[in-house]
Amino acid sequence: MGSAPVVQVQNLSVLRDGLLAVDGVSFTLAPETDTALVGPNGAGKSTLVAALLGLLPRSGGSVRILGQELGPDGELPRSVRSQIAYLPQTLALQGRFPLTVSEFVGFGFDRPGLNLAWLGGGSRSRRQAIQQALQRTGCGDLGEHLLSELSGGQLKRVLLAFCVVRPRRLLVLDEAQAGLDVPSTEQFHQLLLELRRQEGWTVLQVSHDLEMVRRSCDQVLCLNRCLRCSGPPDHALSPERLLELYGPNVVPYRHQHHHASGERP
Amino acid sequence: MTDLTAIQAVLAEPFMQRALTGGLLTGGLGGLLGSFAVLRQLSFFSDALGHSALLGISLGILLGINPTLVLIPFAVLFALLVNQLVSRSGLPADALLNIVYSSSLAFAVVALSLVETYRGGIQQLLFGDILGISWPDLAVIAVLLVAATAYLALSLRAQVLLTLNSDLSGAFGVGASRHRLAFIVLLAVVVAVSIKAVGVLLISAFVVIPACAGRLVSRHFPVYALVSAGLGGGCALLGLLGSGLTNLPSGPCVVIVQFAGFLLALMVSQLTRRPRATAGPAGGRIPDAGPASPGSA
Repeated sequence: MGSAPVVQVQNLSVLRDGLLAVDGVSFTLAPETDTALVGPNGAGKSTLVAALLGLLPRSGGSVRILGQELGPDGELPRSVRSQIAYLPQTLALQGRFPLTVSEFVGFGFDRPGLNLAWLGGGSRSRRQAIQQALQRTGCGDLGEHLLSELSGGQLKRVLLAFCVVRPRRLLVLDEAQAGLDVPSTEQFHQLLLELRRQEGWTVLQVSHDLEMVRRSCDQVLCLNRCLRCSGPPDHALSPERLLELYGPNVVPYRHQHHHASGERP
Repeated sequence: MTDLTAIQAVLAEPFMQRALTGGLLTGGLGGLLGSFAVLRQLSFFSDALGHSALLGISLGILLGINPTLVLIPFAVLFALLVNQLVSRSGLPADALLNIVYSSSLAFAVVALSLVETYRGGIQQLLFGDILGISWPDLAVIAVLLVAATAYLALSLRAQVLLTLNSDLSGAFGVGASRHRLAFIVLLAVVVAVSIKAVGVLLISAFVVIPACAGRLVSRHFPVYALVSAGLGGGCALLGLLGSGLTNLPSGPCVVIVQFAGFLLALMVSQLTRRPRATAGPAGGRIPDAGPASPGSA
């Protein structure tokens, strides 16, 4: 049971606006691993993640999460759904939004379905979990702030608190590091490591930070509509593979070896 | 003293008692639903619904069916149609709603012009007649208020998450499309039921103004929804009382009081915001938690 894959994706295809945005992708996520999904803009990374979570209909293939088949309309048993956390790129906050950080994180603690768990701030264990999640993500002093008062980086950390307020098995991150400052990025990775090693989480993250991917991920999936390559970072992020994935103009690793000052047009 | 006796005289009238109860309930209901609608950028939706309701009423009159009976199914059908249109056309919602809003108004006026006998009642349709509200009307509004409160309270997590990010809500097990649809249908029914009292032109004020006022002064979500509902009900009560005392039209009186409430909320928010703004998003100190160290760490 311990080593059964957390996610199994087979031959997954997704149509968007009549075009095949994801084409026959297969991979598995082993427990307690950190997998990066990389690829150029428009490669279908977010689409793949959305289809995997059941947020977009798929045109072919199958997805199993924690041994359960994802239904055609994204259905998963509630017990499996509550084991999944997802950190989106951003929130639709336009103008003042009368919701405090603590209230928001509390909704991450509550189970899906109709309930009144929020009433009066909730049970003692709920309030403790909120406080703990805020502390772990470096948001201990933000609890009473409005969500709409936060900076981009603070919002990312609060979203992470929302994800970790309850123990889960799978964490899916869509460009989570974008907008974080250096100490926050470090803290972020430390927390991911802790979640995996000590609490058995499995992580799948869309990322453009190949340096970070090389340092902290176990597996890399290179996507450009279809899976171009996959494997450990050393293999998947070799200069040849990157050239193949991103094309000759952008090879994010090259500047380490050669043009440190960058090219001018 | 004369004022007090005038108020007592007004309050003694059964039609006025019905009107005040109706105003309180309708205003509260509008404020409650509005608190969610405003955050979900559905303000204009309620306006478009109001105008489409006029089309529903006109069709009812044209076909010889009691307009009140036509109104609820028509509004629900209309809301579902607009919902589909917005989600499928790929056009911005405000532009689409404008198209729907102006064309339904045009059709309604054409339909009404075909009915010679109803021309006199147009004023009532446009501005409502809260004084003509009956006890059965009140019962329907009360039931709606209870149902809406229960549904929104029980699904608060879903409502908030899907407002913030539909992917986030979906990933965390919220049936976003189901709840979105349920809310829009609820809003349509509330608009349809309130039209009789408030009128086609001012119905959106009942949804938008108290909620915006509440949004300015609240920090916690449940407080926000309650303040919006309270403001909605309170302003309706005051406006109707004023209307009863001065013989001015009731709907506009309520909206003027709502507007005054909004200005007050704006002032309050400006006065209370200043210390918070200096704390800034850079985030060392939070005003609510006092000076840096002793807090929660």
